[in-house]
Amino acid sequence: MNKKIVVIGAGPGGYAAAFLAADLGMEVTLIDKEKNPGGVCLYRGCIPSKALLHVAKLISEAEEAKNWGIEFPKPNIDLNKLREFKNNVVGKLTGGLGIISKQRKVNYISGTARFMNSETIKVDKTDGSSAEIKFDKVIIATGSVIATIPSLNINSKRVLNSTTALDLPEIPKSLLVIGGGYIGLELGSVYNSLGTKVSVVEMTPGLLPGADRDLVSFLAKRIEKKFDKVMLSSKVLELREVQNGIGVKIQSADGNISEHVYDYVLMSIGRKPETKGLGLENTRVKVNERGWIVVNEQLKTSDPNIYAIGDIAGEPMLAHKASHEARVAVEAIAGHKVAFEPKAIPAVVFTDPEIAWAGLTENQAKEKNIKYEVVKFPWAASGRALTLDRSDGVTKLIIDPIDQRILGVGICGPGAGELIAEGVLAIEMGANVTDLKLTIHPHPTLSETIMESAELFFGQSSHIYKPNR
Amino acid sequence: MAIEFKLPELGENIESADVLNILVSVGDKVEKDQGVIEIETDKATIEVPSTLTGVVKEILIKSGEKVKVGQSIVTFEEANQKAAIKTVEKQVETLPAKKVEAKPAAAIENKTTFETKKAKSASAVVDMKLPELGENIESADVLNVLVKPGDIIEKDQGVIEIETDKATIEVPSTLSGKVVDVILKSGDKAKVGQTILKIETGDTFAGEVSEEKKPAVIQAPVEEKVEFKNAANIDSTKGERDKFSPGEVDNQPPISKGAAPAAPSVRRIARELGVDINKVQGTGPFGRISMDDVKAYVKKLNENRETLPSLGIKQEALPDFSKFGEVDIKPMSNIRAKTAVHLSYAWSSIPHVTQHDKADITELEKIRKSHNPKVEKAGGKLTVTAILLKVVAAALKVFPQFNSSVDLEKKEVIYKKYFNIGIAVDTEHGLIVPVVKNVDQKNLTELAVEMNAIAEKARIRKISLDELQGGCFTITNLGGIGGTSFTPIVNSPEVAILGVSRSSLEPVYMNGAFEPRLMLPLSLSYDHRIIDGADAARFLRWVCEALEQPIKILIEG
Repeated sequence: MNKKIVVIGAGPGGYAAAFLAADLGMEVTLIDKEKNPGGVCLYRGCIPSKALLHVAKLISEAEEAKNWGIEFPKPNIDLNKLREFKNNVVGKLTGGLGIISKQRKVNYISGTARFMNSETIKVDKTDGSSAEIKFDKVIIATGSVIATIPSLNINSKRVLNSTTALDLPEIPKSLLVIGGGYIGLELGSVYNSLGTKVSVVEMTPGLLPGADRDLVSFLAKRIEKKFDKVMLSSKVLELREVQNGIGVKIQSADGNISEHVYDYVLMSIGRKPETKGLGLENTRVKVNERGWIVVNEQLKTSDPNIYAIGDIAGEPMLAHKASHEARVAVEAIAGHKVAFEPKAIPAVVFTDPEIAWAGLTENQAKEKNIKYEVVKFPWAASGRALTLDRSDGVTKLIIDPIDQRILGVGICGPGAGELIAEGVLAIEMGANVTDLKLTIHPHPTLSETIMESAELFFGQSSHIYKPNR
Repeated sequence: MAIEFKLPELGENIESADVLNILVSVGDKVEKDQGVIEIETDKATIEVPSTLTGVVKEILIKSGEKVKVGQSIVTFEEANQKAAIKTVEKQVETLPAKKVEAKPAAAIENKTTFETKKAKSASAVVDMKLPELGENIESADVLNVLVKPGDIIEKDQGVIEIETDKATIEVPSTLSGKVVDVILKSGDKAKVGQTILKIETGDTFAGEVSEEKKPAVIQAPVEEKVEFKNAANIDSTKGERDKFSPGEVDNQPPISKGAAPAAPSVRRIARELGVDINKVQGTGPFGRISMDDVKAYVKKLNENRETLPSLGIKQEALPDFSKFGEVDIKPMSNIRAKTAVHLSYAWSSIPHVTQHDKADITELEKIRKSHNPKVEKAGGKLTVTAILLKVVAAALKVFPQFNSSVDLEKKEVIYKKYFNIGIAVDTEHGLIVPVVKNVDQKNLTELAVEMNAIAEKARIRKISLDELQGGCFTITNLGGIGGTSFTPIVNSPEVAILGVSRSSLEPVYMNGAFEPRLMLPLSLSYDHRIIDGADAARFLRWVCEALEQPIKILIEG
């Protein structure tokens, strides 16, 4: 099979698609603006933010160590070196992908692509030249862009977004994070640990809207302690540059409007799909009213030659969803009978504590009138959590009351992002509570909280006395 | 106030269940969550917990019966609320065999109920909206409205019956209360999220489970509105909120009850094999589907396809014949196995009728004998079968429905414009039916020669597949052996077959006296789906007459 495949966008969706297509013997062209594959995730998202969050956690743990009899002096922060560490991580990963791309004989073009029709794209290369490429199939993996609020767009260096915030221009004295979602809370935590007074303003009544409240509550408590101010049900009405800062007009929950001055402001209200400039009008690709490309369960668009994966193809806009979709799309192109049919797509918020969930949430179950039972194992009963001096966590299972199948798993606590994978596997395998209960988990680890939640369902957890009947 | 307790939803695709046990009796005081009946679905045996509190007034079902989701099980004389709350604690004892109910949760729920009730004194009118019906279902046709203004309804009681492309379903109420207004009427198209009813909830109708849900239900629409406004005010500020907002999961299949419990690898295999995983019966705990289950399902499908003629009737187990005497077991030959399957299919899928008649071939026999030497010189043999070939070909022209095939699935009849006739040949390897092509275009000598050659080929197993295909009609002649009549099986997808028995001299009353005539018994089996009895009688009569007066072939055929 010598199909000519073009993949537009080299993020975790695009490069995964290109590499698999190459492995399956297709002739692959991968197009991205950057010098190497990686996309937002590696260059300006998941990876650099996690490098900084690691540092943030180290700083806060060093602080907390005084409770355990170990006292460190206040850290001396060399911002240039920190930035260099982060940039090195990014450089290593993206450079590595560039090499792997060559090894797989993927034709990597640095540039932007535009559809001429359903068989041809035009590439404007970063070196100034351009070329037309004929293809059998195209996979669009152009991702998403930072969402903005036009009325709050003031051209100021002191208004950061998720990209510029990762560049660590300086350590601000104060920072207002607009948007209490995961991007704002993650980056806010980084700056907070570096010494910035951080405040958050969120339009809805809670942080991380959509996540189950019982998971968020531990994080909310910690953030309220560490951050300067958390303003919920509040709205930013106006931003303006003032001397050495940004003046922000905020309408609080009770309707009162007040003005504050912050050193910096971080706009983190989310991301949105962007299809402008792709030339989709020259194809039969359909875009829905919210900007996402419409695809079927094989990720095929309404144009039979064109597939779309990742953020551009709909929610949730997560890297691991994109790379899974990438494999499905490529296998579909290769003629396999496959479909995107996960039972669970995990979501992780890399704050401290971390929050992670997969499958059905309690919010969804209530909304959809799905009958469920829930068991929660508080980390205060976990030996491992106590050795970390972190009892601020919970593991919960959402269970089908009839066949006792695991429908959803939610975890809050340090390492929740790593722990959730077991929950995803359980859901995918159609495991029931007994399966989790009968699986031996290593002691002493946080993973035991999953097993003990299952035991708790039967009223038989060793570390919690809560008989069922 | 008497309230009916109906069988609640048991899970996707479960519409009914067998009642195993009734756990309450008339006069019993039943608490919320107390088991009322024990039922057996194809998936599990479960206790159905009451959603109401009250005294059992009447039991409407018996054990052994089948109950449908939504069917009334018992009626309650509603107990007063205080009593209901007092007895909450006792529930734990009354429910020893309960499967998986979390008792503490239930107790807490009831407590909240009480508090809410105290706090709220006024009643509220709440919209009940059409809930999510399933993936990709956005609207449905309203078939029936099951309530009217003034009705007191319970949570989970069916309020409207709707029809989607997939099924007809009763939409259960999400609230308890008094119906104030019915927005939809039958024949309307209802969209998901559209208001169906206005329900007055409040103290008067409290005491049910749904009570604690009320605040949530009232809040929900308000929240939605707020979000909407914001979205309108600040366009393109989606992202963050969308990311975590539940329910807005384009593309992401939310895990829900009813999704087949199978590992991803198993689901993928099923998809590759073209099997709907949801139809596979899992043999694991709680119906978990293994790789072997999928394979077994596919195997069963294939077997069903092969044994389709038996129409689902399984072969009865054979006794051990060796108990009764010496036996010798040999594998079926390929031809035998195929014949067996093919004839079983024909026999069970075609409604057979056999018409018997006799042709006077006294004159024909003279002609046959006198012309035979010439034909023999050409390398054939002028047999009755050869003559019948020509006669039948002519008859097929006169009666085209005998030269057809039936496609019941498409409701079509296929009429053939060619005249290929099969001859059943008895060989030592089994029954073979070679086909003589374009009989209408060949003379009797040619036909006799070809028949001879083809029959010989069949006997020595040199016949090609091509020579066995394309028949329109079959002639089977057992006259060489004997018999007075038989009922041949139509060689599907043909629609008729002519059986020939041994001709014999019979006294026939003609011209005022009995005369010895050579009579040939003919048996025509036909497919009654496409051929009526009268047509069959006419067809066979026509054949007989053509044998008696061959000129008929030239005049009519």
